[in-house]
Amino acid sequence: MPERIIEWIDQRFPFTSFIKHDLTGYPTPRNLSYWWNFGFLAGIVLVLQVATGIFLAMHYKADISLSFDSIQHIMRDVNYGWLLRYMHAVGASAFFFVIFVHMARTLYYGSFRAPRELMWWTGQGLLLLLMATAFMGYLLPWGQMSFWGATVITNLFRATPFFGDQVVVWLRGDYTVGDATLTRFFSLHYLMPFIIFAAVGIHLVALHTVKSSNPSGINLADKDNIPFHPYFTIKDLYGLGIFLIVYSVFVFFIPNSLIEPANNIPANPMQTPNHIVPEWYFLPFYAILRSVPNMVGGVLAMGLSVMIFAFMPFLDRSRIPGGARYRPYYKLQFYLFIVDMFILGYVGYVPPTPETIVIGQIATLCYFGSFFLIPFISKAEEAWLIKRGLPPEVIELIEKETRDKEERKLKRLRRQGDIA
Amino acid sequence: MRVFLQIILLSCISLTAWANEAALEKVDVETDSKSIERGAEAMIGSCHSCHSMEYIHYRDLLNFGMDKQKVETWRGDQPLDAPVLAQMAENDAMGAFGKVPPDLSLMVKARDGGPNYLYSYLLGYYAKPDGTLSNHIYPETKMPDVLGVSSIAEGASHTEVQGQARDIVSFLAWVSDPHEAERLRLGYYVIAYLLVLTTLLYFVKKQIWSKLK
Repeated sequence: MPERIIEWIDQRFPFTSFIKHDLTGYPTPRNLSYWWNFGFLAGIVLVLQVATGIFLAMHYKADISLSFDSIQHIMRDVNYGWLLRYMHAVGASAFFFVIFVHMARTLYYGSFRAPRELMWWTGQGLLLLLMATAFMGYLLPWGQMSFWGATVITNLFRATPFFGDQVVVWLRGDYTVGDATLTRFFSLHYLMPFIIFAAVGIHLVALHTVKSSNPSGINLADKDNIPFHPYFTIKDLYGLGIFLIVYSVFVFFIPNSLIEPANNIPANPMQTPNHIVPEWYFLPFYAILRSVPNMVGGVLAMGLSVMIFAFMPFLDRSRIPGGARYRPYYKLQFYLFIVDMFILGYVGYVPPTPETIVIGQIATLCYFGSFFLIPFISKAEEAWLIKRGLPPEVIELIEKETRDKEERKLKRLRRQGDIA
Repeated sequence: MRVFLQIILLSCISLTAWANEAALEKVDVETDSKSIERGAEAMIGSCHSCHSMEYIHYRDLLNFGMDKQKVETWRGDQPLDAPVLAQMAENDAMGAFGKVPPDLSLMVKARDGGPNYLYSYLLGYYAKPDGTLSNHIYPETKMPDVLGVSSIAEGASHTEVQGQARDIVSFLAWVSDPHEAERLRLGYYVIAYLLVLTTLLYFVKKQIWSKLK
């Protein structure tokens, strides 16, 4: 572009400085591992979902007498409609997979710690939006599992105190899941991704304020930061290549492996399927819901199981940076938590038997236990590790953080005039 | 940590496999047009009187490359764009069976086990000691033993029935996902392209990062 045009734009809009600040010159720790690719991948999947979704919406009919047929129309008659639909269906699973890895990385390396709490909380908001969007999108094919899944989940809002029944009717637009529910879910399913885009913007503004964490947990000196472009643009693109290969294997070779067979039967309100299961990404939370014998308790436990991640910055009392890297107990806890998630996922998938119910209840206790015990374990672990000796740069960082904290406190007190 | 990724992927794939409780016989679905056409013939002959395939039109059978003469006979005086509906009216079926026989357009996708379920079901008929018929896979079935599985002995005719069942299942697999062959073909090209692209990206990445001290 001719320089004059860029100059003209720059006088009116921070074009050059934006590119420089957030792309070509954006300082990124050079020691980021491939686990740091997943945020970028989540962004790509979001774009993929919106792009395929917009074209699907051109052929989809949000009407209970037409929607199942319109999906078959897309699968059979629309040019490459099957590709759009499988990309979108597999894309939903890919989105959760990428987000779960992204969250696991944050938990493992303690990236949610100061000063990145707002990143973690906007991420938590994004997770809720993603879950809501996926849940509403799942109703649209109007298959048996769509209908009964939506029925079971909207029914949970009966647990709302005082006006539970009214809330359920308000959500469904009818006394049962029906045409009114389908049309509103379609409308909101189309709206939500754009809210997600906005929330991603906030997530990124926060990121570019506090910058990326890194596997060492220590704020790196300037010499250890490298510009995002070209180093991380190419690293992200290479990661994207790997991701797309796995994604394409699912889309082209095993697209039905993630679609419940029962959802190929049109919704029938008169006939409950033998076994109602949610999509795989909701299974651990569904298992927690079922593990509590009381409905209100189950709903509360499930809600808490999703929201409890937000408390991590408060629960983790250790001052040692770098998450699991320097902390053997935290690392063990992390892996046990992942195993526990798989157990819960299994329990959520199989039809309940006395054994799986007990396993589910133990796994639920372990799930919450692994969060509630963090304050005590992290404090004890910190004392033990400091006694045992830590790398000097880690000690230095802990001392600096303590000094900063005291300084801030002193400043605040001075402002209030408590100290002359 | 890499193992962790593999486990997740494997468990996603195996989720569908866990669902089967009854032991199903495995069937290799044929994808060549001859078997599918034989399956269509068998389906029209044995199933079509009660079962519909509302998402398949007679024209789809022609476009697939089936014999024009046969398709003409099957459709009778119905237009080419008519869906393949059951010959028996729904009310009559209600009267005869107590329920409407299910549409077969998506049957292969709509059961746990997919083609294996259908194959095992078709071959699952047996005569109980009291002379009535039952089915190993779906005991409550109202469908008669159309292939005559319960009345034949082991041997040559059994193999023949197995072949028929396999043809029907192959045809219904095509019916439930007519673009599958195209999808697989395209898939190989896409994966091959991505492998080349990703390899190139890997070397570009290596080259760019080698500039760092």
